[in-house]
Amino acid sequence: MKSLRYFRLAFGMLAALAAGSLGAVPSRAELTTLRVSIIPINDVTPLFSAIKQGYFAEEGIAIDTSPSAGGATGIPGLVAGSFDIVYGNVVSMLLAAQQGIDIRVVAPGTKIATVENDTSAIVVRADSGIKSGKDLEGKTVGVNTRNNVIWLYARAWIKATGGDPDKVTYKEIPHPQMEDALRQKQIDAGYMVIPYVALATAKPDFKEIGHPYSEVQLGVDVGQYLTTSKFLAEKPELATKFVRALRRGIEWYNANRGKPELLEIVSGFTRIKVDLLKQIEMAPSPLAVDPPQIEKTMQLMIEHKLLRSPVEIKPLIAQQAL
Amino acid sequence: MQAPAPSAELAPQVMPAAGGRLGRWRKSHSLSGVALVLALLGLWEISARLGWADSSNWPPVTAVLAALAEGIASGELPRLLASTLMRAAAGYLIGCGCGVAAGLLLGTSRWAYYILKPLIEVFRPIPAPAIVPPLILFLGVDNVLKIFVVALACFFPVVLNTLAGVVGVDEVLLQTGRTFRAKRWRVLRDIILPASLPMIAAGMRTATGIALVVTVIAEMVAGSAGLGYYIVQMQYALRPEAMYAAVICLAATGYLVNRAVVMLEAWWIPWLGK
Repeated sequence: MKSLRYFRLAFGMLAALAAGSLGAVPSRAELTTLRVSIIPINDVTPLFSAIKQGYFAEEGIAIDTSPSAGGATGIPGLVAGSFDIVYGNVVSMLLAAQQGIDIRVVAPGTKIATVENDTSAIVVRADSGIKSGKDLEGKTVGVNTRNNVIWLYARAWIKATGGDPDKVTYKEIPHPQMEDALRQKQIDAGYMVIPYVALATAKPDFKEIGHPYSEVQLGVDVGQYLTTSKFLAEKPELATKFVRALRRGIEWYNANRGKPELLEIVSGFTRIKVDLLKQIEMAPSPLAVDPPQIEKTMQLMIEHKLLRSPVEIKPLIAQQAL
Repeated sequence: MQAPAPSAELAPQVMPAAGGRLGRWRKSHSLSGVALVLALLGLWEISARLGWADSSNWPPVTAVLAALAEGIASGELPRLLASTLMRAAAGYLIGCGCGVAAGLLLGTSRWAYYILKPLIEVFRPIPAPAIVPPLILFLGVDNVLKIFVVALACFFPVVLNTLAGVVGVDEVLLQTGRTFRAKRWRVLRDIILPASLPMIAAGMRTATGIALVVTVIAEMVAGSAGLGYYIVQMQYALRPEAMYAAVICLAATGYLVNRAVVMLEAWWIPWLGK
């Protein structure tokens, strides 16, 4: 039996090779490849859904995803020409725009549209007695990266709940280590995201005390797909096709949240086990970018001295994204 | 002596010449080294089982070994390791090649020495991980970037060792060459290069360790390929046992590569260390 399986495998590979060299699968060869940088988190599931459902192939596009844990290489890679499209957060996008980097928002990514959708949270030890930003003064808060989106909304939340964000120490802790850092008392609170927040708060040792995104700015447009104005000018059709296929992926994702088929997709690119994914809730994805929300984030960045001066939002948003 | 068991290649200088007892001494010490590793692994297992570590990312060593076996059986770890080693080897060869060439140039040309030495001294202390993010802007995130960073990191120990080797060539050898009116190129090829080989080899061996480490770091920072990225990915995927399996894979590879280099040296430069 085993040898038969090997035989089939070898034969299949040979056949594929032959087909490839003879051009028997022309559809694949005619596809235009787009290199997309992603962060292996739930936010990009609609993209993978669209790939899996064949929506990109129907538009004549092949997507070559390149994961970057934490997303540090996304925008620099876009500048260097390694990627055509990059999934990034709104703060990174605005920082890049302020620095004069050629960047455009081409498609919607993640939006906290309702309170229920806000799965991220400030988590503390259950016995710490910390309830608000006021209680966090003089204490340490864990954020994945300083001077970025999580840090910004942690500060804004501390301010909104009566604390002085300048009296709090912010410590950089990668998302997967946040729970351990909290347990080992390296930090007093951590701004945690899915799936880590769900796993931590399922234990009696920890509890959520606030949801910065929805409490500070309900409707916040957290992440978007970015590209350059050069790409939009040179290949407008391709950009339109990309967004059209992605939108179908978003619709499919929204209709199939929590279903086994979707969990398989998420597990495929995050490598998180399906059993674990069953415990987490997946928020719906937006179909369009919301410029007034980006405007609000920009104002918040100025308030917390992340931006020196206002950035004009309108020219940054591609027609396709609206 | 309270010092840790000396490694085999250091042994002749460090150990007392104790005649017939030497063999037994060495054998029992290498056994106690194995025993220490086993004891630490046992401690790892117990600490994870009993929850001493106060962490949800500390899997028992048996779970790690299971993940290691699974990763090897599925072919994923060997594939990732091969891609990491490919990058490391490419960077290593380029770095060593440039390092030897630059070292010979610096050692034989006064002009080159005065012009290039300060430049090398300025760039040498920059840690490789620090230059990855700015380099992404110029080289992208693919193999070119990673191989370049590895080559750069390997370049410095090789160039400095080669230079030291060339400068330290016995004056009598050079004078002999001159007596025979050997051309400059011939002096370089037949006298300077063989005489400085032990130093070059020492530099290349330092670079071997660096190559693997820097490749993994570059993969961690710039992402998406190799064992370095896999370690980060598994950390984010809440699969610490798979992460440690990859770390063990790297440790074993590092050890084997080092052994291979030692054996290659013994075969290639038998007069080394004599």
